[in-house]
Amino acid sequence: MADAEHFDKLKQSIIDQDEDQVLAAVNAALDDGVEAKAIIDQGLLPGLNVIGEQFECEDIFLPELMQAALAFQSAMVILEPKIKEQGAEGEKKGKIVLGTVKGDLHSIGKNILKLLYETSGFEVWDLGIDVDLFQFVDKAKEVDADIIAMSALLTTTLVGQKDVIEALRDQGARDKFKVIIGGGATTKEWADTIGADGWAATAYEAVTLSTKLVS
Amino acid sequence: MIDLIEVFDRAETGPLTSETDYYMKRYVPKLTEVIARHKVKWDKETIINADDTLTDAVFEAAVDLIAEAGAYCPETNRVMQFTRDEIVVACEQAPKATTFGEGRERNVMRGRRPDTTDDRPWVHVGGGIYTTDEGVFVDTVEKMASYNIVDSVSVPSILHLRGKDSRVRSPQEILSACKTVRLAREGIRRSGRAGMPIINGISAASQPASMFAASYPDFGLRPSDGFLIDFLSEMVVGYEALQKVAFYNSISANIGSTSTPLFGGYAGGAEGVAVTATAYMIMGNLVFRGSYHYNAPLHSKLHLSSTKPLIWAIAMSNAAIGRNMQYPMVNLPYLGGGSGTKQYHYEMACYMLAVVTSGGNVFSGHPAMAVQSDSLVPDDHKFHAEIGLAASKLTRAQAEPIAQKLFPLFGDKLKDPDKGLTFQEVYDMRTKRIVNADYQKAMDEVREELAGMGLEVPVS
Repeated sequence: MADAEHFDKLKQSIIDQDEDQVLAAVNAALDDGVEAKAIIDQGLLPGLNVIGEQFECEDIFLPELMQAALAFQSAMVILEPKIKEQGAEGEKKGKIVLGTVKGDLHSIGKNILKLLYETSGFEVWDLGIDVDLFQFVDKAKEVDADIIAMSALLTTTLVGQKDVIEALRDQGARDKFKVIIGGGATTKEWADTIGADGWAATAYEAVTLSTKLVS
Repeated sequence: MIDLIEVFDRAETGPLTSETDYYMKRYVPKLTEVIARHKVKWDKETIINADDTLTDAVFEAAVDLIAEAGAYCPETNRVMQFTRDEIVVACEQAPKATTFGEGRERNVMRGRRPDTTDDRPWVHVGGGIYTTDEGVFVDTVEKMASYNIVDSVSVPSILHLRGKDSRVRSPQEILSACKTVRLAREGIRRSGRAGMPIINGISAASQPASMFAASYPDFGLRPSDGFLIDFLSEMVVGYEALQKVAFYNSISANIGSTSTPLFGGYAGGAEGVAVTATAYMIMGNLVFRGSYHYNAPLHSKLHLSSTKPLIWAIAMSNAAIGRNMQYPMVNLPYLGGGSGTKQYHYEMACYMLAVVTSGGNVFSGHPAMAVQSDSLVPDDHKFHAEIGLAASKLTRAQAEPIAQKLFPLFGDKLKDPDKGLTFQEVYDMRTKRIVNADYQKAMDEVREELAGMGLEVPVS
């Protein structure tokens, strides 16, 4: 089978969100000598791009997005050791530290964003919900993040986003990271007020914004 | 029905699982399965379903969903499981009427059946998500409570203390919550209807400690008001919710089980939201021992509830419960257009036609995307209550063509809704009379347009 045919099958298997089909397509491509990095860049990621677009257009929803992401992650378990063996490092768009701020227990918006980031080629450290401000700062330093992305749904938790930026300034680290915010309670005005580098109304917009910020 | 301690025990004894596995191996596949099993399908055109075979299929799918997926307790990482028999008994024993208020304002909210045209639904107005300045808070509540058609109010939130915002879980939040209920009760007293219930207790409290503190009787709330307990995320029953269940059941207070299934989230699209919303109303009684339900499905990206698939799903969940349980319910509309805009009124009319004819009670709605501080304009809510009462005279089949005429008037604007007005921009701050002629004109014109479409909305 020609490489192009493998790439089409890989892409379609992701679009179909079928983990078994994805793994079969990955193994078939490897058996035919297709490089692991090419499998990702020319097969799986284009499939994930389609999934992202379908999600944005409401042709599919969070469960389908998650199925596709889980299938992708299963494929990566096979492909990552091969990439290392071949000495070809996977290229990531950027490193993101993500979480819902202190006091806020809402997770769905943040989870959607995590999936969209991963399916768009970012490396993500998801700190979860109710995240202490210094966890954002410490993790960003530890992994040398490009972006800190914070979500807040409640008006009473917005201040947690401001606190992280303040802590970064206090530690002289504000310029080391781009900081973006989102979530139901946030606005562009709030982002400007606290000195964030950007605000996104939706998860899809956050990925577009992040891509711009790291390019 | 299984007792409350047994319900709490289910959070300690069910199977262990991670949250991701709960969603990906239980909730999502089971939801897909029950939708297919019961042939629940939205045709992408209908706004108000009148096919009761489909309505009952949604109810059966909801019962199956609870029986097969259970709920998830994040604190214990366990699935709270219930047998089908336990769920059916909870449906049979759910309250069909709940008494709110004191003295002359004591009144009964009933669970309604779809297509009931000869009753008077409960009329609830207001909203809790507006952060309202103290300067207009009491006036706002007083004005809403003074309308004679209104049975209960939701009061806005005061989140400021000495000019600063209160942070979640802070001591200031407790003081803000106490202040909110004290001033709300004062506003109601000033309306001359001191016994009127507040049924969104407690808007300014995000944590149990704030809710319990503000429930102290000296601040003015009573068990005959209504206290909201919500499901945090799809099918998640957290300890904070169960703490509130324990407390409010211990003081025999009215509990408003509350849910916000997300369109585009784990629930998926219209069918998933209809089934999940219905499941929440059943669990509202089974798990929370609710006296009434606050049904508030929401679009995950637009943060509103007036898209066509969502209105269909919300109406469907009302009809499913109305036909099979008659659990008293109100629906909390989140609308795109700002206060006083025609878009806001069109959205509300479409939503009201759908839910009230399907068995819901009347509840005016929030401007959500265009929300701004002080944007609770009481006369909007009076008008919307009047629309709800007018809608209650229609069947679903009669309401559908009107809803279809209304939807094109706002559907394309939902992504970029018209901005609205604030309390101060509408009223004379001394007399509290409407002084904004454009505001009044927009409302009068919409009233006329509705009459032209076949929905006469008398001024109360």
